[in-house]
Amino acid sequence: MKADKKIIKSWVRQQNRTSRSITMSIALLGFVNVMMGVVQAWSLAHIFAQLLMQHVSDVQMLLVIFIICCVVRVLLSYLQELMALSAGQSARRRLRHHILERIMVAGPVLLRQNHSAKLATLLVDRVEMLDGYFARWLPASMLWVVAQWSIVAIVAWQNWHAGLVLGLCCLALPFLQAIFGIATAVASRRQFLAMSRLQTRFLDRIRGIATIVLSGNAERDAQDLRTAAEEFRHRTMKVLRVAFMASATTDIVMIVALVWIVVSQSHALMHDHSVDHASAALFAVFMVPEAFATFRALSASYQDKSHVNETAEAVHTLPQPSSSHGHDPAEKEEGAHAVLYDGRGISLVVKDVSYRWSEDRPPTLLDINFALEPGQTALLEGVSGAGKSTLIELLLGFIQPQKGQIFLGGVAMNTMSAEAITRHISWIGQRPVLFAGTLRENILFAHPNAREEEIQHALEASRVSQYLADLPDGLNTVIGEGGFGLSGGQAQRIAIARAFLKNSPLLVMDEPTAHLDPETEQDILEALKLLLQGRTALIATHSSQFKTLETTYHMTLDAGHIVSQEPKQ
Amino acid sequence: MKALVKLSLVWRSRFGYLLFGLLLAELSVCSLFLLMGQTGGRLSSAIIGVALGFGLLRIAGVARIVLRYLERLVAHDATFKALTDLRVWFYRRLSEGAAAGLGFRRSGDLLSRLVSDIQSLDNLYLRILIPLAAAFISLPILVIICLHAGVGGALTLTIALLFALIAFLLPYLTARSTYRLGPDLQQAQARLQIKALDMATGLREMRIFGAEERMCQALEDDQETLYLLQKQQGRRMAALHASALLLSRLGGIAVLCACVGIFYHKPDIIAGVTIFFVVTSALDMINDLPRAGLLAGQACHAAERVASVVTERPLPGGYINTLPEYFDIQCHQLSFGWPGKGLILEDASFFLKSGEKAILLGPSGSGKSSLAALLLRVVSPRSGYITLDGINIEDVRDETLRNKVAWLSQNSHLFDDTIRHNLLLGREGIADDALWDALEKAQIADFVRSLPDGLDHWIGENGSHLSGGQGRRIALARVLLSSAPVLILDEPAAGLDLETEKAFLETINRIDRRRSVLLITHRLTGVERPDHIWRLEKKKIVAQPI
Repeated sequence: MKADKKIIKSWVRQQNRTSRSITMSIALLGFVNVMMGVVQAWSLAHIFAQLLMQHVSDVQMLLVIFIICCVVRVLLSYLQELMALSAGQSARRRLRHHILERIMVAGPVLLRQNHSAKLATLLVDRVEMLDGYFARWLPASMLWVVAQWSIVAIVAWQNWHAGLVLGLCCLALPFLQAIFGIATAVASRRQFLAMSRLQTRFLDRIRGIATIVLSGNAERDAQDLRTAAEEFRHRTMKVLRVAFMASATTDIVMIVALVWIVVSQSHALMHDHSVDHASAALFAVFMVPEAFATFRALSASYQDKSHVNETAEAVHTLPQPSSSHGHDPAEKEEGAHAVLYDGRGISLVVKDVSYRWSEDRPPTLLDINFALEPGQTALLEGVSGAGKSTLIELLLGFIQPQKGQIFLGGVAMNTMSAEAITRHISWIGQRPVLFAGTLRENILFAHPNAREEEIQHALEASRVSQYLADLPDGLNTVIGEGGFGLSGGQAQRIAIARAFLKNSPLLVMDEPTAHLDPETEQDILEALKLLLQGRTALIATHSSQFKTLETTYHMTLDAGHIVSQEPKQ
Repeated sequence: MKALVKLSLVWRSRFGYLLFGLLLAELSVCSLFLLMGQTGGRLSSAIIGVALGFGLLRIAGVARIVLRYLERLVAHDATFKALTDLRVWFYRRLSEGAAAGLGFRRSGDLLSRLVSDIQSLDNLYLRILIPLAAAFISLPILVIICLHAGVGGALTLTIALLFALIAFLLPYLTARSTYRLGPDLQQAQARLQIKALDMATGLREMRIFGAEERMCQALEDDQETLYLLQKQQGRRMAALHASALLLSRLGGIAVLCACVGIFYHKPDIIAGVTIFFVVTSALDMINDLPRAGLLAGQACHAAERVASVVTERPLPGGYINTLPEYFDIQCHQLSFGWPGKGLILEDASFFLKSGEKAILLGPSGSGKSSLAALLLRVVSPRSGYITLDGINIEDVRDETLRNKVAWLSQNSHLFDDTIRHNLLLGREGIADDALWDALEKAQIADFVRSLPDGLDHWIGENGSHLSGGQGRRIALARVLLSSAPVLILDEPAAGLDLETEKAFLETINRIDRRRSVLLITHRLTGVERPDHIWRLEKKKIVAQPI
């Protein structure tokens, strides 16, 4: 856990470093802004001092300076905001790219431990949430100490007594913050957890609302919801009572500084009636809010800081990018050229392959051996949990066996790059993922540069063409999320069309008809028979209908072993 | 805006407390005026050599600190109360009307989006209503202070005008601009989210078809579209914010000009300094209001979406409170189609005698689930009717019906809670023995016993800590726990592998002979032992020999 924290901290530091230059520029603008504020307060103090002492000398000139300062400060703030906007965007852009890379390197295996929605949230929402961190928190944290103490120094130079008071108050601020802050930090973190739990619970209830309503428990559950929320409120208010003390310290310190300076300066002024002294006193008073403004900006974006740690933690659940393959990619690409196959398919040899998902669990696969000649088809059976999916992921190169080797067309797979492996394989799962887009885009996904006749052939062979007429816009119908709903059988035919279009020598299928009714299954099977011609195939399935296929092998997997391997006559 | 007003009516019973919060906020503003006025006044008096007491200054300082603290505390407390009210209200409304329909049509994502809309309404009181209302009250107070100090009508008018521009016009402009740009931004964001979700679910496809680079590129393109819109909005916001800042500085400049004697009638200099302090702090205070406008623009959209869902009318409730312990179900020539779509059932009829078990077969999408929706009275048929022992289902109270007809489907939700709470769903007074009995009947008791926490085992989001078959059995146990004489099982085993599905269906075979069961499925596995097999063909129900 400690090592994790260290990694997370160094990751955050690295992020800070990469955006340092723009952070610096924003902070620098902020500093110039503060300095303009000093000039502004100075001119203002002199105007009032001269007016009050009725000793007007250059008021008009000072007024012009004051106005110029006002305008310049507005422009500087505008500029700061624009820069913060682009700082936030470029940091998010960079971060998203970084996360994308990590996801791509880890590949499909990620889906074993992570829900896809979680990955999508990391990729979009979590990254977007970091805007405030890069746009506001980083510059503010860089600026505040320098700005505050510069002001204290300048005030002290003009008016050492007021400077001392202001300095003392600024010094007290971190202490007071620490006293109240540390006490609340732990509690508020726990509170944040409770809050997110309450939100999750609400979301969970809403998602399952049909279940609750149909079991006749809606009213009772609404009461529960209220009780939980009320209880949460009570507990939160307890924490907030202290937490607001922490934020009240800024008010306290500032008001104390203000009142103290006014009272002490007034007493001094009673004895010394000079314009200089009067303007120095006024200047000190005008600088009090300025001295605390940068700190206020920092506290305002405090919650932005907590987001970055959460994201860092989420990013670190993804595997490290470097650990994927042992070989140099260039060398692997070499290996790929040697893969041998012709129009009849490709040979597949699995030799002594063992795999375990983690050290503390028994091996999922143990000493698996089989060989398929080009053009042969094998059926793979076994109850769920027997290791079928693991075997398929090994064949697809998503994971590498800890022991043994797999040869594709005579070439050991561990010498090939991921792209080289998948170039030779088509895969059909239980339910294809249909991307948001048109039907054509979804099929072309397999081969973006396919010619029109290739597409037509794939549509015919996969029998997608059979239902095209029923779709509102034919091939241009929008499917996937938010689009036209396709049935399981229709979707599976798209997967087959993709496989035709990709035209690779090895087919791997994982329960391709698991969700279909018998008639649809029969239909899909006809299309698959066409696809199997001239290809080597391994099909994991429970369905009896597949037994009608001309297959070479029936393999049965049980607890990581191949328990039967009957060649068919 | 109308939707926003309507939703804030949810807080009707809290108006007193919300007003109290507002009062504190306003008092805190007044204490700030007093503090700054005293600062300016006392200091300038001292400069011209007039000694005055500092009592009021100190009191103002203490009052400001205390009031600011109290204001925050009360405002947050009120926000939490409002938040609870809003959620419970939303939950109730959803459960009365839209929910059943929405939930039935698997709109889990739509529902999640609604939840985030509700969350964005949380800001309504704390960040929008309070600051705006406080500004509304502060304006006349500021005018009175100015007039009282005798700085002249022209200067007072200038200040009031600037105040109104910053506090009301600019936030209005911001709200309008975000309201207009909102849908585009949201759409761009949604597109990015969909692309990311597509990508995450389609990792396998991407790897197999070598589409990783293409998809990443497409995602980053969508990101650029979003960022372009964000940049537009951000620029506009920055410009508005800069205008607010400029206007508030103009207020200070106007007072200064008056003091020097330019443009305005020259006031008494001490009054001038005092007013300068008050006016600059008042204008600084409202500088952030354009941001409230930004939130208001977003909240408007959220409120509209929420309002449109909860206004979906609930079906009129029945009046019959009691049904016989066991009853026959008869459907007479039902016709049904989802709103805005064609018919999926036409003149469909069947008769299920009490205690009989029937299977309804049909390909996916043929309308089998809508029959379940009709039997649970989530929807009403367009024509035809359903009777339970001769009582029309339309006349039965929802709660009575739902205590008698239990529903289990692949969409039955498992809550992120313990097994016990998943079984009970809030029901009270049920002994553990009954829970174990139900688990026993669902054939999952041994598994639950093997868990270290037993019934108090936490099952994770939608049962993620369980296997698919185990999750379905927990859901079955929940249904069996109720004494409902009729069970509607809508594809209860979909998505399970064949072995698990068979075992699950065998469990169903053993269900108490007195209960009627309607099993809706797309295929037979061979282990079912029904009294009838019906097939949904061409929108009608056809009996098939067993």
